[in-house]
Amino acid sequence: MIIHQSPAAQKPERVVLLGARGFIGAAIRKELDAQRIPRLALSSADLNLAEAAAADELAAALRATDAVVMLAALTPDKGRDIPTLMKNLAMMQNTCAAIAKTGCAHMVYFSSDAVYDGAVSRVSEDTPTSPQDLYGAMHHTREIMARSLAGVPVLVLRPTLIYGLDDTHNSYGPNRFRRAAQKGGKITLFGGGEETRDHIHVDDVAALTLRCLLHRSTGTLNAATGTSHSFHEVAEAVSKQFGKTVEIVKTPRANPITHRHYDVANTIKAFPDIRFIPLEDGVARVHREMLEKS
Amino acid sequence: MSGVLVGFAGMTHLGVNSAAAALARGFRVVGYDPDREVIEALRRGDPPAVEPGLPDVLRRHASRANYTADIADLSRCDLVYIASDVPTDGSGASDLAGIRRLIEGVSGALARGAVVVVLCQVPPGFTRALALPGERLFCQVETLVFGEAVERAMHPERIILGCANPSATLPAALEEFLSAFACPILPMRYESAELAKIAINCCLVSSISVANTLAELCECLGAAWSEIAPALKLDRRIGQHAYLAPGLGIAGGNLERDLATVCKLADAHGTDAGVVRAWIANSRHRRDWALQTLHGAVLSKLEDPVIAVLGLAYKQNTHSTRNSASLALLAHLAPFRVRIFDPVVPATAIPNPRCHAASSELDACEGADALAIMTPWPQFGTLDPVQVARKLRGKLVLDPYAVLNAVACRAAGLEYHTLGFNPDGIRTEK
Repeated sequence: MIIHQSPAAQKPERVVLLGARGFIGAAIRKELDAQRIPRLALSSADLNLAEAAAADELAAALRATDAVVMLAALTPDKGRDIPTLMKNLAMMQNTCAAIAKTGCAHMVYFSSDAVYDGAVSRVSEDTPTSPQDLYGAMHHTREIMARSLAGVPVLVLRPTLIYGLDDTHNSYGPNRFRRAAQKGGKITLFGGGEETRDHIHVDDVAALTLRCLLHRSTGTLNAATGTSHSFHEVAEAVSKQFGKTVEIVKTPRANPITHRHYDVANTIKAFPDIRFIPLEDGVARVHREMLEKS
Repeated sequence: MSGVLVGFAGMTHLGVNSAAAALARGFRVVGYDPDREVIEALRRGDPPAVEPGLPDVLRRHASRANYTADIADLSRCDLVYIASDVPTDGSGASDLAGIRRLIEGVSGALARGAVVVVLCQVPPGFTRALALPGERLFCQVETLVFGEAVERAMHPERIILGCANPSATLPAALEEFLSAFACPILPMRYESAELAKIAINCCLVSSISVANTLAELCECLGAAWSEIAPALKLDRRIGQHAYLAPGLGIAGGNLERDLATVCKLADAHGTDAGVVRAWIANSRHRRDWALQTLHGAVLSKLEDPVIAVLGLAYKQNTHSTRNSASLALLAHLAPFRVRIFDPVVPATAIPNPRCHAASSELDACEGADALAIMTPWPQFGTLDPVQVARKLRGKLVLDPYAVLNAVACRAAGLEYHTLGFNPDGIRTEK
């Protein structure tokens, strides 16, 4: 359960986005601009948080009245090894040092559902964290680092699988399926695609983040829709958009089937009127955007 | 009429229902409570708790009842029951300070040789730690059920009695009083009796958790828990009276208290209470059923929806709202307009500025987008789904306890949801 420090929605004076050039950062930036909320968007090109000097540079850029959204991280596609872990921790160390020096009104830390054991099929915020790899351990440690900031109201957001047009990760799911269908007219599933997962559209993540910023929410919240679909269903939804026959190929199963469902009761309690884009609609939206872009 | 004079200290739900049972069994009773308003109300025949039959029993035997706010009046009693409800905090932990003060006060007022029986829910070790002689100190397990308290107080299945020495002969006054209930008396160590109460409640919660877990699966699989439960009850190992009705999480305070006590004791002694914690988690999970269902069907789809809520009490036939699922739901409906009706609990219990206190069930339904029947008051079962459908603006009906007829609701054009049954599973064809 999260707590709204501002029960009535109130625009932050300014939002500082760290990792603003990324897939999620761009969506949040768009949302902030739509709401005319002043923002300072910093990417690694502006400030390399992994470098020791970054703490002072960021401190100089920050104001005590800022809300800081920390998205910057080297994702698993950039490395899953110990050096990557240490760089990610250094980024957080410098961020925390800057905030400790200047202070801030609110911090939103973007974590990951990798902090949970992948074998747990039903997840809520009460599910004990049990990261199974360095990436999960990194986010878990960074969550604790954020919470150790004295006097700073901190919200930890743990998103599930995010999809959207500009996702660069190409991980197994809607993004990869769309690209595969477009490129080769074929979507290849692991096994029969029986595994169920919760896929959230990046715009929903951005909208949820904005709500949390407006209420200066603190605590921990999973960013998930509460509805899980099998990968086969996702493949069918993607295939439907192409208006031609996209072959969905099943392969011999190499790993046991696992499922992941989210209990989003805490999200509903925090924002009773919240609504998420249904998967079919989200996939259709991404497809439209893709056509418009091309 | 018996010559034994029985005192009850604490005219709360437990005390007043237990006193009523003693009166009905032919004993003279002194009912003590420090709250003069409670005593005055009892003298007028107005008990401080809503229970079926309670006012009637008190009225019929009023001549043998003496309600007093003067603790010295207990000095005439042969035995005195410490019968005050024990308050709990949000985590279910008991606040025993009031009970200790009450026992101290009663001890000072007792006649020489009078017996003290701790009837309220206390943790293992509590009774033995009291500074009273063992031959005059007992603890008795109460197994009242809100909504059936008088009946159960008058007709207990057995009496579980905690004693300093279980093999010793009971004091005459206590023996005479307990024998009047014509059921087995089970003397045991104080600690065993105190833990027996917890054990009973754990068994009940276990059954409820089974029902909740499998009812939720039923909702996904097209099965109906209402069809399965009777089959279980015919199993001798389970039984007719098993708690197999799915619900919106445990409530009322007493079960939660015992689960919290088990966890606390297990933590202190290093024993395993994982299953108890799972029951607690399951209870919390099911509590959100109504909110989640409402969100999926109405709150996430309509602008400024109106929600009708029938029932505020945590269960039927009681005024208690302790851990009420209805209040839990309403706490999260604060941004929305709600129309509320409960036969006993006033709508002022809800701190929602957009709350309309309805004058009747159908008034609550007027213009609402959805109806949630959150307490299974028997009178709600007499509602005509056709009339409900006419009054509602929307079609959604949440009836977790199945007080309405699912088929009749569907026939009236309502979208009917209940625990343990997926409405899409209703099939009339083969």
